Amino acid sequence: MQNRKPKNSPFRGLDIQRHSFLSDKDCRLIHEGSCQLLEEVGIGVTHAGAVKLFEKEGATKQNGRMFIPRMIVERSIQQTEKNIVLKALDSTNNLGIEGKNSRVHYGTGGQALYVLDYKDGAFEKKAAVTQDLIDIVRICENLENVDFITRPVEPNVQDEDMDLTKTRIFLENTSKHINLANLIQIEKLPEIISMVQNKELISFIACVLVSPLSMAESTTEKFIRFIQEDIPVAISSCPQAGTTAPLSEVGELMQVNAEVLSALTLANLVRPGAKILYRGIPITSNLHTNVSPRWCQPDSIRRIAIISDMTHFYGIPCCGTAGVSDEKEPNPQAIAEKTLSWIFETASGAQFINSALGMLEQVLTVCPEQYIIDDMVIGRIKQLFLKSPDYNLRDIARTGVEEALSMFGVQMDSAMKEEVSSRINFIFSGQEEYSADHVQAQADLIKKAIISGKSSNVFLKTSRSGLRRGWLYSGKRFEGRLELEDLHLLKTEILDSYGN
Amino acid sequence: MSDLIEEIKKNLIAGRVDSEDEGFDEDMTGQPGVTELVKQALEEKIPASDILAQALTPGMEKVGRLFEDGEYLLPDMLASAECVAEATEIMEPHLAGVDIQSRGKFIVATVEGDLHDIGKNIVATILQGSGFEVQDIGTSVKASQIVQAVKESKPRFLGLSALLTSTMTHMGEVIDLLKNEGIRDQIIICIGGAPVSEEFAKKIGADIYGEDAFDAMNKLEKLA
Ligand code: B12
Repeated sequence: MQNRKPKNSPFRGLDIQRHSFLSDKDCRLIHEGSCQLLEEVGIGVTHAGAVKLFEKEGATKQNGRMFIPRMIVERSIQQTEKNIVLKALDSTNNLGIEGKNSRVHYGTGGQALYVLDYKDGAFEKKAAVTQDLIDIVRICENLENVDFITRPVEPNVQDEDMDLTKTRIFLENTSKHINLANLIQIEKLPEIISMVQNKELISFIACVLVSPLSMAESTTEKFIRFIQEDIPVAISSCPQAGTTAPLSEVGELMQVNAEVLSALTLANLVRPGAKILYRGIPITSNLHTNVSPRWCQPDSIRRIAIISDMTHFYGIPCCGTAGVSDEKEPNPQAIAEKTLSWIFETASGAQFINSALGMLEQVLTVCPEQYIIDDMVIGRIKQLFLKSPDYNLRDIARTGVEEALSMFGVQMDSAMKEEVSSRINFIFSGQEEYSADHVQAQADLIKKAIISGKSSNVFLKTSRSGLRRGWLYSGKRFEGRLELEDLHLLKTEILDSYGN
Repeated sequence: MSDLIEEIKKNLIAGRVDSEDEGFDEDMTGQPGVTELVKQALEEKIPASDILAQALTPGMEKVGRLFEDGEYLLPDMLASAECVAEATEIMEPHLAGVDIQSRGKFIVATVEGDLHDIGKNIVATILQGSGFEVQDIGTSVKASQIVQAVKESKPRFLGLSALLTSTMTHMGEVIDLLKNEGIRDQIIICIGGAPVSEEFAKKIGADIYGEDAFDAMNKLEKLA
């Protein structure tokens, strides 16, 4: 029951002293670079309504790209709502998301395609169906450390019925804040609003951006409609260093920041004072193997945590990301990498940490047992942070992984301890210089990639020297066997309590 | 062998398309890359067939070996594959009558409504590097446009990519349209993308499921 509601606060959440990786000067440098990209490289926009709004304010369009003057961008940053209350059916579950504070909340993520079923000690992967959505929402309703629920999987009904079915399942099964994420058919929005009765109970995520520096037309339409309704939306941009962004941390941050700022600007042109959560997810591509996204390796963990430095710099609420394991099944490696990711994302002060529970295989898969594991470990991590207000982050990270693994019967040997330290060192130590020259070189690279028309090939090719300099972490895996029987019983107990 | 040919081969292995490429060991920016060197060689009247036989082919073979040994990674392979593609384009007018061993034309597209292109681009480049003549017709391409491209270019292979459960159904649509046009049996259809599977390929009547770019390459090379 720890910390359901901190003292003197009407809200849930974990209040911590935040740790920053970048100085204000570094943040300013990234901001300058992003403004330069928006002014000189522009953002690809095809949505007619968006084009009109931008042009009315003095942005200019050429060859499909919108060049946005920094004045409009900076004005929008000022205008954006800095404090958002996300309400819930049970008002003790309301969340106060404040851009300048570091009160942290954890929730689920999606949309996963697959669900792992636990049978006779083994996991079986299958396509997600409606019952999975019901089960996961019910499990999360019962988990102490789930502060909000993002739709984990979609119901497998006709496109026509998807959005309403999903909303109804949420309303019937949770008293926590409902993050519907996406709508399949935006025309359903009015019906959804009348179904929930109170708009403040819901929020969305819009993946408006296609990296590098372009807006997806159909999502732009949805985004505008959410903003018009004054419903909070997380602007999501998820470049992958090495394929849709430069491999360089500085280059990727500058690009993802420009991307989110472009949509944030659009939002404030639609409605000044828009309720936005900044969701930049600068992950990396696994260039060592098959270029699949890396969500939970030290390079990604570091970059994602740095995003909170930018959101705190702007004072805009942050929709963070943590705990998306790259592993296909619950195992010691998954627990270790998730734990490091939660710890650093918590310390970064990201207020609304999305995807934090249940996720495996780079957002492709969820697993009921994993939600329970994740809830237990997050609970332990909160205790570690609360133990001393002036915590030592390195110590918490080391202890956190050790305790998390031992909760499930895995004791760390010295090789494992060394691996934890090596991952922690990587997360702490920047590999690059934050200088005006480096920013300029990266801006030039982004421009070149976009002009070429085959940006992923340009980013891949130019990643070769950074790759050899060790910009992508490479280390050992955490092996062992988890004890999961109890969790399985716990899951069955929760679901049985609903009488099916 | 001329020094120039040796230089071309060296730069191909280093994956440097032109003088702007930094390479990866030390910064090589400013030094001529494959395109500049190939142009120079042609000016010096070195036969294009020699460049092909003594620089490009053995260079790419070496890259393939380095990749198999784990010394080279995908970006390295990609960079070298791009060098070959650029060089062949420059040499094309000089190669009349020379038998360029193309493994066949491969059209690739991401289906309608789907903007995911990272995987598709990698597949395109890897196949190009392994000797296929690749024509990439882009993302969110309508079934009718794909069929139109097939009719115009008459490729031996058609590759379709989808990353969304909501768009993968368009793959079946393309196949049905090709059947209606009576040209389904003239091409080999290969599909891929995260939600797609061997089973799905069978269900919609595609010929090959490629789990990743190399799986696709191995399966296609057997047919080419
Ligand atoms: C990057 C990404 C994006 C980027 C795409 C950038 C780009 N330029 O491609 C952006 C941000 C734009 C994006 C947008 C969206 N995305 Co997306 N995206 C991803 C992500 C994280 C990675 C995909 C990727 O690039 N992988 C790396 C490459 C190398 O792998 P690959 O594509 O699988 O390709 C390999 C193989 O599959 C195969 N292959 C692929 N194609 C082909 C073709 C042939 C012929 C062959 C032989 C082989 C082959 O070989 C490739 C190389 O080895 C996936 C999750 C995931 N882990 O897959 C989600 C994911 C695919 N996206 C998803 C969603 C929901 C969306 C959005 C709808 C989000 C939204 N709410 O707006 C939009 C849709 C936009 C649209 N209309 O297409 C979902 C799909 C869920 C579903 N049920 O379908 C996923 C699974 C994430 C999730 N769990 O939520 N996305």
